[in-house]
Amino acid sequence: MKKFRSGVALAATATFALTLAACSGGDSDDSSADPGSGDDAMGTTLTVWAWDPAFNIYAMEEAAKVYQQDHPDFVLDIQETTWEDLQPTLTTLAQSQEFGELPDIFLMQNNAFQKNVINYPDLFTDITDSGVDFSQFPEGVTAYSTIDGANFGVPFDSGTAINAMRTDILEEAGYSLDDFTDVSWDEFIELGKDVLDKTGKPMLSGIAGEPDTILMMLQSAGQSLFDAEGNPTITDNEALEEAIAVYAEMVESGIYLEVNSWDEYIGSIVNGNVVSTINGVWISGSIQTAEDQAGMWGVTNLPAVDVSGATHYSANGGSSWAISSNADVALAADFLASTFAGSTDFYDTILPSAGAVANWLPAGESDVYAEPQEFFGGQPIYADVIEFSAGVPANNTGAYYYEARDAVGVAITQIMGGADPATALGEAQSTVEFAMG
Amino acid sequence: MTPVVVPDRAPKKKSKGPRIKPSPMARRRSLTGWMFLIPAAVLIGVMMFWPMLQALLLSFQTGRGTALEYADPLWFNYDRMLDDEIFKLTVGNTLLYLAIQVPIMLVSALVLANILNNPRLKFKSFWRTAIFLPAAISLVSYSLVFRTIFATDGLVNDWMLALGFIDSPINWLGNTNTARFVIILGLLWRWTGYNMIFYLAGLQNIDPTTLEAAKMDGAGPIRTFFSVTIPQLKPMILLTVIMSTNGTIQLFDESFNLTRGGPANTSMTMSHYLYEVSFQNNPNFGYGAALSYVILMMVAVLAAIQMKVGDKRD
Repeated sequence: MKKFRSGVALAATATFALTLAACSGGDSDDSSADPGSGDDAMGTTLTVWAWDPAFNIYAMEEAAKVYQQDHPDFVLDIQETTWEDLQPTLTTLAQSQEFGELPDIFLMQNNAFQKNVINYPDLFTDITDSGVDFSQFPEGVTAYSTIDGANFGVPFDSGTAINAMRTDILEEAGYSLDDFTDVSWDEFIELGKDVLDKTGKPMLSGIAGEPDTILMMLQSAGQSLFDAEGNPTITDNEALEEAIAVYAEMVESGIYLEVNSWDEYIGSIVNGNVVSTINGVWISGSIQTAEDQAGMWGVTNLPAVDVSGATHYSANGGSSWAISSNADVALAADFLASTFAGSTDFYDTILPSAGAVANWLPAGESDVYAEPQEFFGGQPIYADVIEFSAGVPANNTGAYYYEARDAVGVAITQIMGGADPATALGEAQSTVEFAMG
Repeated sequence: MTPVVVPDRAPKKKSKGPRIKPSPMARRRSLTGWMFLIPAAVLIGVMMFWPMLQALLLSFQTGRGTALEYADPLWFNYDRMLDDEIFKLTVGNTLLYLAIQVPIMLVSALVLANILNNPRLKFKSFWRTAIFLPAAISLVSYSLVFRTIFATDGLVNDWMLALGFIDSPINWLGNTNTARFVIILGLLWRWTGYNMIFYLAGLQNIDPTTLEAAKMDGAGPIRTFFSVTIPQLKPMILLTVIMSTNGTIQLFDESFNLTRGGPANTSMTMSHYLYEVSFQNNPNFGYGAALSYVILMMVAVLAAIQMKVGDKRD
């Protein structure tokens, strides 16, 4: 009898023990929580979540080295997390109120900033008065991480758009980079058709169904998918209609090549199948992987849309550093203020290796930015990009940016398939209004 | 003469008789049984049923992010779904996959299982492994590989161009019908082997004397297959139909990784839309929970219908 009872007891305990082991095992899978949170005295360690080892993480490591010159005890713990993982992680932590799992600093896409701060303000720390001088960043970029007048992010990656062109192919067709500078889209299309005739290559390429090119045109015209109050402005948006008309004409006349995936897009550039590409300056990293094309590229500004208030400048993407609510705020703010918002040495280091162009305006005045870039035919492209940055119009993203972006992508696919633009955009607007309702 | 109504010999209400106390041995045995059951039952209750109940409560709430409060009326999210164009599109897509993919897959699996059950077939274990192997591959891996293969400059287009079947590359993932076709092809490739194994197991349980009897009665192989084998496989067929329906209605990985929702959301499934609503767009978890319950209802209704039709216990 004793054996029987102990056997039963053993079975029950074993089951419970396994359950507990499984549960606790799950907890330790999470990224390590920052033990220094809540301390009043400044600690010496910061944890960071960011993506892209060749760009963002590299920049963070260099920033740590700069900071360690004055603070030798400083330790930076960077955990690589892709944006596709980072966004759901933040959402999950915020919904379950597990703020203790947050790192000190995390990187966030500019387009997603509004959505996250509006929905989950508990994830962030207000850093308006933290010592970071926000006046030294272009207003159009700080606007992404500013909600109700309060700053929540330190701008980092510049999504300033460039028009990178193959100067050798342009020469073959009898043109130069100047012919494509400060032009309108109509002029660009005229020239593009001529280049296509003479060289057989399309001017631009892009992923079918992705609205990036059109949204860059929209932003360059000073317009957005939302107005200042957050209402969707997809219909009755002259700049958007104009941009879509330009896009459709380019695709139909063969000067815009639509591809199906990111790899194909990069391939079209690197394999020399297109004459130019319009994207954020971060595309220069991918362009420079085509070593056989060194010296054959140049950079200029964007064509202007045919509406009043249009400019030759725009942006695509970009990201900012946010300080979480679980952070050693004093240390994190001091770190960011001394490096990303305060050190020209830092920006000088990361520029040549990673092509990381600063949003921080004083950085552009340094000599490194004025250095001629061999790959781009001796043009000091980074100094040019800093100039472009200053002229980029601000963009209203709001909390529903991704819904609007998807809806416009759907509308474009339908329009390219033959649908009437007004109807397609009307459907996009009602999709967004539904999502907001 | 009026018929005499004979009262039932046994009274309608079952009388238990004097309550017999279970012997100590019996009581200990039943206690043991409960001791083994309770941990698992508690685990399932806490890990599965409690979250399901919470999801139901969540589906009655509206609001963004953590600012959730009960909707007025309670079924607001469900009502809203009726106006959701994207949702209706995804329901259509998912039901299309269900209607086309499941029958083809199960019939192929049945035929393959029957062929592979032949005792005289050479290299049987090789065939079985080869056909089952796709089911052992991770969903994400195979979706990404299929995406590469069916790209405009991918393997399939290269081969078809080289063999002369087509003149210019087909934009597989850029057109609605071909994108859906690629998803269905992927599903067929992956799950046929899995269902085939179930049927093989079912075929082992068929009494060979029934097959011999059919043969002696002069039935050819096809007649035997339809009249003798399949009726005896009915429970297994019912199982695979319910499982396939469940899996296809909840389809996510292929839609997310293979076609990314396809051109203009035309190959997106309901679960993929749910993910977008919850994690990609402005988070609307109440609506997402309502979507998940609609998916649950669809699976439950279809499973109930299938059991009604298939589970006729003779």
